[in-house]
Amino acid sequence: MCRLRIGSVVALIAVLLAACAAPTPTPAPPAATPTVAPAAPPTPTPAPKVGAPYKIGFIASITGPGASLGIPERNVAQMVQEQLKAQGGIEGPDGVRHEVQILIFDDESKTDTAATVARRLIEQEGVVVLVAGTLSGPSLAMVPIATEAKVPMISMASARSIIEDPETKKMREWIFKPVPENLHSAQMQADYLKAVGVTKVCHLYENTAYGKDTFASAQAIFPQAGIEIVYGDAFERTATEFPQVEKVKASGCQAVVIGSIPPASALVNVAVRDALPEVRIVHGHGSCSPDLIKNAGAAAEGTVMPCGKILVADQLPDTDPVKQLNLDFVKAYQDFTKGEPISTFAGHAYDALQWAIAALKTLPDGLSLAEQRAKVREALEGLRNFPGTHGIFNLSPDDHLGFNYADFVMVVVKDGKFQVLPRDQWK
Amino acid sequence: MVRGWRWGERTWTKEGAWRGGVVLAALGMLALLVLLGRRHGFGAPEYLQFLLDGLRGGSIYALVALGFVLVYRVTGVINFAQGAFVMLGPMLTASFYERGLPPAPGLRLALAALLSIGIVAGIGVAVERWALYPARRASPLTRIIITVGVYLILEGAALLLWGPYAKMIPSFTTLSLADPTLRFGELRIKAQSLWIWGTLGISLLTLALFFGRTTLGKAMRACAVNRLAAQLMGIRVDTMSTLAFGLAAALGALAGIVLGPATRPTYELGLELGLKGFVAAIMGGLVSFPGAVLGGLLLGALENLWAGVTVAGFKDLFAFIILILVLLIHPQGFAGSEAEVERA
Repeated sequence: MCRLRIGSVVALIAVLLAACAAPTPTPAPPAATPTVAPAAPPTPTPAPKVGAPYKIGFIASITGPGASLGIPERNVAQMVQEQLKAQGGIEGPDGVRHEVQILIFDDESKTDTAATVARRLIEQEGVVVLVAGTLSGPSLAMVPIATEAKVPMISMASARSIIEDPETKKMREWIFKPVPENLHSAQMQADYLKAVGVTKVCHLYENTAYGKDTFASAQAIFPQAGIEIVYGDAFERTATEFPQVEKVKASGCQAVVIGSIPPASALVNVAVRDALPEVRIVHGHGSCSPDLIKNAGAAAEGTVMPCGKILVADQLPDTDPVKQLNLDFVKAYQDFTKGEPISTFAGHAYDALQWAIAALKTLPDGLSLAEQRAKVREALEGLRNFPGTHGIFNLSPDDHLGFNYADFVMVVVKDGKFQVLPRDQWK
Repeated sequence: MVRGWRWGERTWTKEGAWRGGVVLAALGMLALLVLLGRRHGFGAPEYLQFLLDGLRGGSIYALVALGFVLVYRVTGVINFAQGAFVMLGPMLTASFYERGLPPAPGLRLALAALLSIGIVAGIGVAVERWALYPARRASPLTRIIITVGVYLILEGAALLLWGPYAKMIPSFTTLSLADPTLRFGELRIKAQSLWIWGTLGISLLTLALFFGRTTLGKAMRACAVNRLAAQLMGIRVDTMSTLAFGLAAALGALAGIVLGPATRPTYELGLELGLKGFVAAIMGGLVSFPGAVLGGLLLGALENLWAGVTVAGFKDLFAFIILILVLLIHPQGFAGSEAEVERA
């Protein structure tokens, strides 16, 4: 089916124009410090040496099917760009300041556009690092391009194969991502199901790469925990009828795991709840969004799911190492977007950009572009105990994600709200 | 109808062989359905549930198909923008409903729906006037391509206007997001299904009265039967074409709005429903209203039965297999000869 979209084209042009207009170098004016008393003679501080600007190529799915993920990501990129401007760029280890430009582009949720845009950013714009890919498909399309050009790339999508070669099971040298995977989600789900004594589950997943990956992850993890998947089937995101629930009924499973994203996951939730008022319903982390509750209403009550900390930051114990970081980010995001609801994906974009900025800060002045790129790659691999919206990341040459699944929090829907469900309350 | 393939007669043509093969394939598919259902141990209640759910989706396809047939009969164009009308109906309704005026939710929903149907009908009229009327002397294929273009423009506009987010229309029964489920023993029927079936029935009745009893309706029918003769009788053929578009757009919007509470409309809603409605219209022969309704109901029911007994992920596959089968049985589908229009 022809999926050309006029809207996408118009939006792309708009974004291109915006992106072209953005990088006009604005020398950061030395911030006037109002705290200095006017009587005191201005002590001439040595003006920091200013080096060449660094460019971060930012590619998200701002239009097309991935837009509900990509738009919050773009918002974050714009917000971080403003923050960087306000700070007057970043300072390298040698004290030289560099402006950081985030060039924002749209891949239209398409693999071919993603590849074209990535190539352009690498070859023509000379970006040091790519923060690229809202969806797994476009991310995977950019992987060989970044690898070949030896440009570090941080994806915002979840598929394991983005950072790991599925055949050799080795990390891809140039690719990173701060996004937990369905495998982590499945580990958390398995812990929960085991704790509550469930041994037979049904798995319903949406017929997309994401949905299929939730199923594959469950198949890999659940049997190890002694949980049998007695029935698994897909559904279309646009479906209004769910004949699958008859088979769920016939299979006699004790819990239904739904691998989908709202609103589709909410509609399945309702259909399952209608047919089976007693069965346990467990969602994946894709459903951690107010949209689930809004769309499923009362049927969502009592359903549980593993979520990133960002969504329940205010409920985390004060001892949590990333609570404050999350609260600050959420506030900044909502101030910037004038009250847009926070989303997991905004968090992923924020983490990815913070990784990139942290790596850029390690660059001494005067390196060639190729040296800068190689050094950023090394710096990314060396990130340890790095706090992010989803937990503490520990990267290494063998792990370009560095996420511990225990950094997910189990959440239950209670009285129409997400509530943290600590392990000792699993029953 | 079936030329070249009659039982008891030794006529063997290439076309006949095709049709025989297709009939065999259809029978094989039915046998497969029953066989696969047995494997899961499904009994009558399960099949009945599949059928009921399928008839709900099927009623929507039928309403969409009516729009296709209406436009095709009067103008000879297959209007692929119909899907966009189906999407615009619920999107506009949800937007108006969100505005919060008037405060009584029932009245608000009714007003929002009526207003949306009116606007979409206006868009339908505008599309005919500005996109198709200027190309009235172009070949049907050109005009069909124009409708595809219109679809893409409307979908793109919806994305710009509303963004990629899903909208919500409350259940007509409770005026909240939760749609009650009626239970008859094992069987479950969503209250919204009753609204959908009622809408289909009333729409059919209204169309029958309009085309059977009113001068305007009769004039439109005349255009369908013979454009030139109608023109010679003093019927404004161009006005009738415009009217057909407006009416089809209103029907499409209505279909989308009654489906609204059962799904969460986004700017992309039109693609699937438009295609399924087209399949239903083709099943009904593209020129007959009862045929389109039957086609829609049959498609919905079969599709859901198929999804129920096989892997549900292949649901859409089934609709398009049917499309290919029907086009093979009914190869003149797109051309739709004059004689056929008269028969209908």
